[in-house]
This record gives sequence, structure tokens and C-alpha cells, in this order.
Amino acid sequence: MRKSIIFILSSILISNIFAQKRELVPQASICGQFHKKYCKLEKAKGEKWEYNSQSRSGLFSQGMTSKIRCVIYKGMDYRLTLCAETAIGDKINFKIYDSRTNELLFDNASADNTQVFEFQSTSTRPIIIEVFVPEGATESDNSGLKSKEAACVGLLIEHKKTNIQGFTRY
Amino acid sequence: MKIKTILIPTSSLLFTLLATSCAGDRSEEEILNAKDTIQISVDVPKESPEYEIFFQVPSPGEMLSFIKSVGKRDKSKINILNATENINKYTDEKSKALNFGIYSTDLSYCSIFNLGSESIKYFKVVKQLGDQLGLSATIKPEILARIEKNIDNTDSLVVITDDLYYSSFGTLEEGKQGNVLALMVAGGWLESVYIAINMVDKFQKDNPVVQRIADQKYTLENLIQFLKKHEESSPDVKQVKADLEELMKSFNLLKEEKISNTTLKQEGSKKLIGGGINLVIDEKIFNEIKTKVLKLRNNYTQNQ
Repeated sequence: MRKSIIFILSSILISNIFAQKRELVPQASICGQFHKKYCKLEKAKGEKWEYNSQSRSGLFSQGMTSKIRCVIYKGMDYRLTLCAETAIGDKINFKIYDSRTNELLFDNASADNTQVFEFQSTSTRPIIIEVFVPEGATESDNSGLKSKEAACVGLLIEHKKTNIQGFTRY
Repeated sequence: MKIKTILIPTSSLLFTLLATSCAGDRSEEEILNAKDTIQISVDVPKESPEYEIFFQVPSPGEMLSFIKSVGKRDKSKINILNATENINKYTDEKSKALNFGIYSTDLSYCSIFNLGSESIKYFKVVKQLGDQLGLSATIKPEILARIEKNIDNTDSLVVITDDLYYSSFGTLEEGKQGNVLALMVAGGWLESVYIAINMVDKFQKDNPVVQRIADQKYTLENLIQFLKKHEESSPDVKQVKADLEELMKSFNLLKEEKISNTTLKQEGSKKLIGGGINLVIDEKIFNEIKTKVLKLRNNYTQNQ
């Protein structure tokens, strides 16, 4: 009985969160700082990557797409790292577009589904990062539980100043 | 809409709720150990709605770090920061939230530019306003002890103040205090641009700080969109959005100069995205932006 009440209350609470507006899926507040906890890469010696506050986590179900618009600055190197709970699979797709021109700048599907992308832009530009969780991406499940179709996905953005080579005015 | 099983990280608010209410009733099979997750059942809309775009705003600390990295380290400019005595002027929620963002940026400035003793002063006003905005659990008194301990260690101070900003952001977002969050982000961004403008003694088109100010056009676009999401429920946010739209008019005067078509090439371990558009700023537009930023920032800090 107690279990049922707790389940019903939890369902109502969470359903309300989802029902408020579609914008809550992906849900930053459910997944919180998932990206900070799980997307971090081992730091190689001397690496100076710094956390970029445009990073975000969200709750995704399979077949779902979400977009964020960020600003990347000239003179900086960026590294995007995507990570997700194993339940949702390890084939998360992401694409980067120039938000002014809609030009596709990168698609990880054409790079062996890499979950880490390091880049630099010669001009400051607003970009759209589109994250897509494909259907059927769920890994085989060892826990004995049925397939899980929604889970947290984190997008960690890091930056560092580009090493300038050659003469420079400043 | 179907009931589906989802995984929630244990660090989340919901976990706390569920764990405290039913931990004793759950069998081992129900608990997923992988990556600290807990299994619960929720309604998840199957179909993807029209793709909503989340507009991200870089933190003020990133702008200040950039200014420092290009060699601007004039410590004498401490007087450009919002005087801590002004805190007494902030009695309404709008001014508290805006100036919480402004003071947070000033705190970052003190950390980044190695002004340790000033950091303590600014931490105190950030803490005071934070308490009034419901952030007392996030901005704990222990942080002051950490600042005092690291007063001569710039790197540690920057980490402490960055964490403070990010955790305040996270708490407001998770606590559904979107209005306060929107105003805090707006205040923080405005202060970072204000500081950047004050670092430019003489206009030079090629000065990287001037160029970074021009590039704020894109961040301002994101910020306005971010505020738009909260304006319906808050006249304060609506007003600040209108203020920033007025500023946007000046940024829209920037000319766009196409460098070349976009190119992509591999350079070592990274991809180099070439081409694109440069925003061209001249002295007249710079001064126009400067005037508006100074006026707006003055209105907010004087609570006019």
C-alpha cells in the first residue's frame, strides 16, 4: 500500500513536471549537472581545458532531438564531449550548424559517432548543437530490467585559448 | 503518452525525494547501480515536439578571463565595480536579482585580477543578496573561509567564484526560479560588458577586447531569447528584456564582413572551421554601445 501511494505521488509529481510545457523535455533540472559529473575526460598532462558554462544536461527518450544555441569565439579552442547513461546507448548523434547560415559544420555520424569533438573557428559565430538519440540505441541490459528508453544526456563544453603562432599585434 | 521507465542520476532533486521516502521498500533488483542511477516510472512524451532551442549565455567569468588573457590587468580600475555600499538600495526583487548578477561578476573580477581582499567584500554582498533570493543553502558561509584561505591564490579563487556562479545558476534553475535566474544572468552579462568597455582606453578596431565587445551581439541575441521565456510571468523580466532590445539596436548597426565561404579542415587533433563572418565595429558604433551600456548599468546599480 505504502509503495503504491509513493509510486502514485511520484508519478503525479513527475508527470506535472513534464506536463507544464514541452520545453521541460529535455529536463535540465532532472539531470542537473550530469555533464559535469560524467562527461569529464581524463586530463592529459599540461592540458588547460576550462569548463564552459554553455554546457547542459537533459532528459532524452529514444528518437528525441534537442537543440542548444551557443556562441563560440574566435581565438579559442573548444572541446565538446557528449555522454549518456548506458541505458540509452552509446550512439548519440550530434550535429553542429552555423546558426546564421544553417551550414552543417560537423556531424559525428560521419566521424564514427565520436562523442568528443575538438575544434576552433576562425570567426566568432553562434552555433546550434543538435543532439539526437536514435531509436534502438539501448544497450543490452545486464540488470534484468526491461529496456530503458529515457535517460540523462550531458553535453560538456570546454574551452581554452588557442596557442597563437607567429607574430601578433597584441 | 506511455508510461516508461527512466533513469535519474542520484544527485537530482527527485532522487532525494524518492530515496528518502521509499528506500526501505525497494528490492535490490529495483536499484540500478550503474552510474548512480535510480529507476522510476514517469510519463515521457514519445513524439519529439517541434525542436525547442535552448539559448545559452556564456558566464561573465569567461569574458573577464579573456580580458586578462589579452593582457589587460589594470588593477587601478577597481573603482569601476559596483560599490558594495549600494546594496542598501536593493529592496525589491528585480534590483536584488540584477545586482546579484552584477556583484557576482564583480566578485569574479576580483578573483581573476588577483584582488583578494576585495573578493571578501564582494563575496559578502553576493551572500547577502543570495540569502534574500533563497540561495542561502547554495552560498554557504564556509565559502568565505575558503576565499580567505586562498586569498593570494588566484587560480583557487577563480575556481571558488566560478563554482559559486554555476551553483547559484543551477539552484535557481532547479528551483524553478526562472525569473530570478533570468535577471541574474542579465545583470551578470551587462556587468561583464561594462567592465570590458572600461578596459578600452582608446578605441582601436583591432583591439581584441573591442572585437570581443562587438561579438557580444550573438550573446545578447541568446540572452534576449532566454529572457523571452520568462517575460510572461514577470513584468521585471519583460522590462529588462525591453532595455536589452534597445541596446540590441546598436549592436545591429555592426557591419557583417564575409571572410570567405565556410571551410573545414583537420589540424592536428582538432577541426579548424574557417571562413564565416566578422562583425565590424567602428568608433561611432562602439561609443553608442558604450553610452547605452553605461546608462543601463547605472540605472540598475542605482536602482533607478
